Amino acid sequence: MAGFRARGGVAIVGYAQSPIQRHAPVTLGTLAVDTARRAIGDAGLAVADVDGFVTGALFPTAGAHAVEDGISIVSSNWLADRLGTNPRYAAGFQGFGQVPGAVALAVNAIASGAADYVLVHRALHNPVGSYHANPMRRAAGAQQWTAPQGYFGPLAMIALPYNEYLQRYGARRDTMAKVVVEARKNGAQVPWSYWHGKPFTVDQYLAAPMIDDPICRYDCDIPVDGVAAFVFTSAERARDLPHRPVYVLGYGFGSPTTHRLPLHWPLDDIMSTGTETARRLWEATGLRPGDVDLPQVYDGFSPFVYFWLEVLGFCPVGEAHRLVDEGGIDSDRPGALPVLSGGGALGNGRMHGVPQMLECYLQLSRRAGERQRERATIGVACHSSPHFGGAVAYSAEPPGAA
Amino acid sequence: VPDERSAPYWEAAARHVLVVARCARCGNLAHPPADVCPHCRSTEPGFAWEPVSGRGTVRSWTVMHQSSLPGFDADLPFVLVDVELVEQPELRLIGRLVDGAGAPLRAGAPVTVAFEDLGDGVSVPAFALEAGA
Repeated sequence: MAGFRARGGVAIVGYAQSPIQRHAPVTLGTLAVDTARRAIGDAGLAVADVDGFVTGALFPTAGAHAVEDGISIVSSNWLADRLGTNPRYAAGFQGFGQVPGAVALAVNAIASGAADYVLVHRALHNPVGSYHANPMRRAAGAQQWTAPQGYFGPLAMIALPYNEYLQRYGARRDTMAKVVVEARKNGAQVPWSYWHGKPFTVDQYLAAPMIDDPICRYDCDIPVDGVAAFVFTSAERARDLPHRPVYVLGYGFGSPTTHRLPLHWPLDDIMSTGTETARRLWEATGLRPGDVDLPQVYDGFSPFVYFWLEVLGFCPVGEAHRLVDEGGIDSDRPGALPVLSGGGALGNGRMHGVPQMLECYLQLSRRAGERQRERATIGVACHSSPHFGGAVAYSAEPPGAA
Repeated sequence: VPDERSAPYWEAAARHVLVVARCARCGNLAHPPADVCPHCRSTEPGFAWEPVSGRGTVRSWTVMHQSSLPGFDADLPFVLVDVELVEQPELRLIGRLVDGAGAPLRAGAPVTVAFEDLGDGVSVPAFALEAGA
């Protein structure tokens, strides 16, 4: 792909974000309907105008929770139905990196003419009780290769490649405290964040007990109930709507081909496939790392920050821990990379790639209020692990205007 | 729970033998075996289990202080090692390290297979640091 043909042809024109809570007082479906209505209204549209609905509905738990539409997930079809509309296009992204994945489906639908106004939403649920605890006594199917050994769940999954990183590059675990403190500092400024008004300290990080060494609880985002919704349309139609459009320049995705055990994510897999995903992003958009003012890397597990920084080329491989240690991601420091300026998942709660995307939208549309940054023309929003997820590039300027 | 495909693996483990499946088409080892060979992509891989040396090197590890599964709490903390077997590059297994949470570990440390007997004829492959490593 030599450049994305729809580059800049589709834009975000409105949004809504629900409060991010441990347990919402209403069902996830109710929250999604309310949030969708607000987003459509924010874009200056009526529900009847929206003819496309897209999401990535995965409920990312290893636990034994039932998956129920409208309760623990919200599909596009469910949402359109409850809004009382019959869209021309309704789809769900089935891979990892649900947020950029859904954006890509929306962009493609609009660019192809399959829909004119697409609502992209992401609804995440925190069930009562432990998020990942699983009472299985018998490990069958794919689990039989790892569960009898006690290898289970995403914390052990991320602990292995993170420890590989620490060993290979001589990184110190203490350095990661700066990532979490940065995310929470910025999340504390975000009105809807679960962590609003609750910044965090290095000492708190260092005092936390290990869960799966070298991972402690603060290396993981906190499970929440929350919904975000964005309205997309063509750049042409966006001109008639109330808010300044934010244009999609392109995206990059990928997935590894090396055969592995369930949830086995070796560092080399993450880096090699992630590097190819980044190459696809740069090729599609014509951008280089130096063009990006807001590289919003994904941080659902803190080590992803290092991995994304390196695959995207913001620092050499093996150097992200040094960059962080030297204050290189402090969003208040001139010249530093504001990679968690929106608070990320660690600073907002488990909203998947929503905080990254929302920060790009708010900053580039000049709607960030007191948090508005001066230099914000190009943003990149990442989600998931670099080897399974994706990244979308956004611009405050229509294509050709630069 | 063994199924049709994995029964030989667990039967061998019960005899304290580590086996890995080899594709009859391309001759590469694959763990776990799958419908389509992950190397030559044949849909008729005809995987056959064969004993391996059980020797390998530690690529990474984690010390588990909490488990989401029942039955492991009494064993906490325990170490899981990500081991690359000597038979083939990137042939990696994850197992418990029987040496305990205090064992001196480093990337590249040589290990060899060990078996933990759970009773009822079930043994789970694990790893032990090689002496003098």
